[in-house]
Amino acid sequence: LALRSVNSCRSAYGCVLFSPLFFQHYQWSTSVKVNENDSKTSNLNCKLGMKSILPIFRCLNSLERNVENCRIFTRSDQCKVVIQFFCRHGIRRTHNVCFQESQPLQVIFEKSMCSNTLVIQPRVLAEAVVLFTSSQEEVTLAVTPLSVCLKSSSDEPMDLTNSVYSEMFVGPEEFDFFQIGVDTEITFCFKELKGMLTFSEATHAPIAIHFDFPGKPMALSIDDMLLEANFILATLADEPSRASSQQSLCLSQKQKRSDPMCSPNNNSKTGKNVTSKAPGCILRKTAPKRLYPNETQTDIPVLENCGSPIRKRVNGGDISEVPESSVSDTEETPGS
Amino acid sequence: MKFRAKIVDAACLNHFTRVSAMVAKLAKICALRISPQTMNFILSDKVAGGGVSMWCELEQENFFSEFQMEGVSAENNAIYLELTSENLSRALKTAQNARALKVKLTNKHFPCLTVSIELLSVSSSSRIVTHDIPVKVIPRKLWKDLQEPTVPDSDVSIYLPVLKTMKSIVEKMRNLSNHLIIEANLSGDLNLKIETELVCVTTHFKDLGNPPLASEDASQDRDPEQMAEVRIDIRKLLQFLAGQQVNPTRAVCNIVSNKLVHFDLLHEDVSLQYFIPAFS
Repeated sequence: LALRSVNSCRSAYGCVLFSPLFFQHYQWSTSVKVNENDSKTSNLNCKLGMKSILPIFRCLNSLERNVENCRIFTRSDQCKVVIQFFCRHGIRRTHNVCFQESQPLQVIFEKSMCSNTLVIQPRVLAEAVVLFTSSQEEVTLAVTPLSVCLKSSSDEPMDLTNSVYSEMFVGPEEFDFFQIGVDTEITFCFKELKGMLTFSEATHAPIAIHFDFPGKPMALSIDDMLLEANFILATLADEPSRASSQQSLCLSQKQKRSDPMCSPNNNSKTGKNVTSKAPGCILRKTAPKRLYPNETQTDIPVLENCGSPIRKRVNGGDISEVPESSVSDTEETPGS
Repeated sequence: MKFRAKIVDAACLNHFTRVSAMVAKLAKICALRISPQTMNFILSDKVAGGGVSMWCELEQENFFSEFQMEGVSAENNAIYLELTSENLSRALKTAQNARALKVKLTNKHFPCLTVSIELLSVSSSSRIVTHDIPVKVIPRKLWKDLQEPTVPDSDVSIYLPVLKTMKSIVEKMRNLSNHLIIEANLSGDLNLKIETELVCVTTHFKDLGNPPLASEDASQDRDPEQMAEVRIDIRKLLQFLAGQQVNPTRAVCNIVSNKLVHFDLLHEDVSLQYFIPAFS
């Protein structure tokens, strides 16, 4: 069973593969005809709305306390996924979620080809993450063969004098595996890291971080016996004009990462992480807001190209047009 | 201007963190005054704050193992900085199990209060964490607004009940009205009242005790049963109470009839004075 998602600006992709052993009972019946024309694959590829499925699995505490059994099955004749909770006291709760057929999202990323690999216990990373104030949008990971430093992204324009700059050095001995081939500094979205971290703390498995140079996506992965999770995040490309055009970088940060984005929603109050187990994340009201793409999706989109975006600064109200990005290394190919 | 200080004792660090967290709840932006003996967190009664003012004072030698400062000049040996209190509070919170904490005034493109923390991680290797908190240096001409407020002659002075209890009551009253009347007398009675068109609610606290009055005359003239009251904005009172995470060592409320209420708190060795003016 694979759960995949990508955010609206294609800067983050997540895929969690569950082996049949994860479940008490796993049955796949090939007699189900999803698409009669498609004789090559007998997979069920469908997409569900986040708003439909997330609320069902909300309140983990209450689920743990009350639910004895959970059954998930598909009714492809009705294009539905049925999730049933068998709770205490004989209560049975049934949720019907409609799905739409779709092509599976795929991101091609060779983890083994990365020059830098770090493996760390989620606890250690979580402690580092706690340091950063939640208004932080981006964080920079700077590595050398001797040290690893997690720090606030230095892309802040100089007049944003309200933000605290934090940095934390972690010694190589704290990592389960430490291989640095290239000294590098990569900058990526903090919120996405936090979401993934929450998930990994639940699995107790170490996190492997694979990365190279700025601009090339990085991979965060967890591999334990029952599941394999991969999160591919875009990183900020190193711009030669970085120093002089800090303003535009802040606005176009997402832009530079990957494919041209859809024009963003101006409502930047909530951004929800798209991975299935990640918590919602509300942007803080106190810090000056930079527009953060609204990742609340009702639909996991089929990959499509959008026009050039127009970004608006939330507090300024100025509209700046941003050029199309250069081609990045994120290769995204729709499934066959 | 120079400032550098160090805390090595865990208890001192925790206490300082708590004070900073309390200040963060009381004032979004505050002034930090550093002088050779003391450190103060100040909120002056500007219109922006709604007339509320705060003066928090601590003796630096009770917290810092090392403390060096050089003020603006020899005659004006103090440093006044303006900062967003939450920034400092958050930075200190990351120093939960720190071995040592250093604070110093630095200039990194703009003035900062740099907090460096030496942490001992699980694998017993040392980690260094640094936070650069942007600050603004307050020029000398504005210092006069940030001086210790004069304690007014109050009509009644009374010890407060347990703040947690008071807070939960005020929270409920908040739903009914924006104004609250605090009244107290010299017989240890304190009332919190709200009056609306539809309902009046009063909570009575008795036997609270009154601190000894400074002047003998005042206590003789005043009828101990007579209440001194002041009507204040309930939200300001709530904000004040919400900032007190721990019950203070000593908590006194001074009321100047129809003018203001003055809260004089002592959290171990840190003093906090909070003034809420009458609702105009």
